[in-house]
Order: sequence, then structure tokens, then C-alpha cells
Amino acid sequence: MDFKRQFKEGLLTKNPVTVQLLGMCSTLAITTSLFNGLGMGLSVTIILICSNVLISALRKVIPNQIRIAAYIVIIAGFVTIVDLCLQAFLPALSENLGVFIPLIVVNCIILGRAEAFASKNTVLASAVDGLCQGIGYTVALVIMCVIRELLGSGTFGGGILNGGEGIRIIPAQYPAMQMVMPVGGFLTLGAVIAGSQWLMKHLEKKEAAKK
Amino acid sequence: MKTESTVKYVLRLALTLLAITAVVAACLAYVNGITKPRIDAAKAAKTQLAIETVLPGGGEEVQDFTDETGMVSKVYGSDTGYAVEVTPSGFNGTITMMVGVSKDGKVLGISMISQTETAGLGAVSAAKTAAGETFRGQYKGQSGTLAVSKDGGTIDALTGATITSRAVTTGVNAALSCVAGMD
Repeated sequence: MDFKRQFKEGLLTKNPVTVQLLGMCSTLAITTSLFNGLGMGLSVTIILICSNVLISALRKVIPNQIRIAAYIVIIAGFVTIVDLCLQAFLPALSENLGVFIPLIVVNCIILGRAEAFASKNTVLASAVDGLCQGIGYTVALVIMCVIRELLGSGTFGGGILNGGEGIRIIPAQYPAMQMVMPVGGFLTLGAVIAGSQWLMKHLEKKEAAKK
Repeated sequence: MKTESTVKYVLRLALTLLAITAVVAACLAYVNGITKPRIDAAKAAKTQLAIETVLPGGGEEVQDFTDETGMVSKVYGSDTGYAVEVTPSGFNGTITMMVGVSKDGKVLGISMISQTETAGLGAVSAAKTAAGETFRGQYKGQSGTLAVSKDGGTIDALTGATITSRAVTTGVNAALSCVAGMD
């Protein structure tokens, strides 16, 4: 097990959003305020760790032919638990994320990690994988949220800071509303992917120069 | 022999899946048991707050009302007027809102209960910001049939959210016509 490598993969070189391009629907839809990004990121991380651990623990019990069905049942179970807990304890977040929490069931990141990693590795390694991929997902979402919120609504920290309104950085009449619309989501996603690609190339060159 | 092993094999698949599903279902039942009272209480508190926002002093649920628009889900009444829960269709889905209407058919105020409109645009209609207050304040004291200014009415639509504004206006109209039908 190589924690450092797994962490780097989750955060950058195999980031679920910018490299694997998984779970795009919710990524584009909810990244409009910091609160949404953090909430969605943490929800997915928790579900990812739980489902990875359980699927890894059951990997020798679940027959190969019904593995997808078994994974989906397990994932749906965790998603519903998180959904109910959010509704009960964080109603504001649950309202903002709306249908996208139940839709985590079909979020390819979770099933993708179950199939590609948890079903072939030990419980501990799978837990670490879930954590690292979850952090990578959360970081990507938060970056997108900050950009879109700043350019689209002109604020920072919407939903959390300053009584939920966020700290106003750009005066209310100037922000480009399109940035919080779907089109802004695509533009931001493209820019973030380009940025992460540049960073990867940059780090590679640095590494090569060292040798 | 081959048939027996096939039967066993299929049974093993089915039973494994059944066991997993049963365990998951049991867990969900347990979590639901814990969270349901809180979720129900939060929903009830939210509705109660919405009623009191639009109808000072609150009101009792009224069973007997006629609804021609299909949007009125509940009506609460008191001596001063009614709080009507309406569910018009917004930009991204159903909006649930409470409309206070006085006995003489004037809007006392509106309050959003739940909506899934675009953040920063339609969602402003429900926000506790100055823009949200201004938008909702426009309905106060109005009567008859309302429309947004684009449709020749008096309500100024939210910037970039004409559809949401129309939906809210439709909801208010539904509440007004519902109260107009009361005796």
C-alpha cells in the first residue's frame, strides 16, 4: 500500500473530475456556491469510503456474475442513509443539493471505484482509495464553486459565511450571471481541466529535471 | 449432475443478492426510524413559519375549499384571512409557497417553502436578501389577477428569471382565486 501515491492520484493524476471525468452531471449542476461544493464533496467522500470498505470486505463473497447488482444495492443503501441524515440534521444543505444527493447512486465515481479498486484490493487500501478519491472530488468541486460563485454572483463563501449570503467581492451589478448557469459550468470545467493538465506537465518536467 | 450444480449455482447467486438486499433494507429501516421524526418536525416547523409570515397569528387548517387551478394543496384560515399553500411549476421543478390573502381578497404576503430554481437567479425569489424581500414585497396589497410586467402586469420580474417570476405570480393568482371562491 502506498498512501502517498494514492493521495497524489486522487488529487491530481487520477482525479475523478478532471482526469477520469466521472460524475459530470452533479459536478456541473451544483458547483454554484462554496456550501454546495463542500457539502456534495463530503457526502460523496463518506459514501465512497463506506461503499469501498464494504465492497472490499465482501469481494470474495459476492459472485462475479451479480457483482454490479450487489454494488448498486450497497451504494444505494449508503446514499439513502446520507440523504436521510442530511434531511434530518442539515436541512438547508439537503434543500440546496436537492435531487443530486439521491443521484449519487448512479454517480460513476462510486461504482467506478468499487469496480476498479475495491473489488480487487484489501479493506484498508480501499478505505484509503475512497478517502483520496473523495478528497480529489471535493477539491475539484470547491475550485469550480469558488470560480463560478465569484464570477457569477460576485461573492465568496455563499451559504456559509456572512449569514449565508457570502462575502461580496464584486458589486452586485457586475457579475456575469451566465457563470452560475450550465454554460458557466462547462466553461469552468474546461478551464479547471486545462489548469490541472498544465500542473501535471509542470510537475513532470520538474521531476525529470531532478533526475 | 450438471443440472444439480446449475441449480445450486443459481440459488447461490439469488441468495447472496437476497442477503445483501435484506441487510441493506434493515439498515435503512433503522436509519429511517431515527431520522423520520426530525424530518417531519422540520417540515412542520417550516410550514408553520411560512403560515405565520404571511398570516399574522397563524391559522387552522381549512378542509373545505374549491380549487380550479389544481395548484392549491392546503388552506389555513383565521379571522383575518387565509394562508394558501400553492405549488406552481417553476423553471426547474415545483415551487411550494405560502400565500397570505385577507378576507377582502388582498395579498398579505408570500413566503417560499421549497423551490429548486437556479441559484443566483430564480432562487433569489426565496432568498432572505434585500432583492428577495423587494420581489416578494411587490405582491403585498395586490388583488385580482396579477401578471409580470413583460406580460402587461405590474409585477417586476427578477432579472434573468422571468419564468420563476411568472410561476410565483401564477401561484399567487391561484391562491387569490381560491380565496375568492370562499364564502
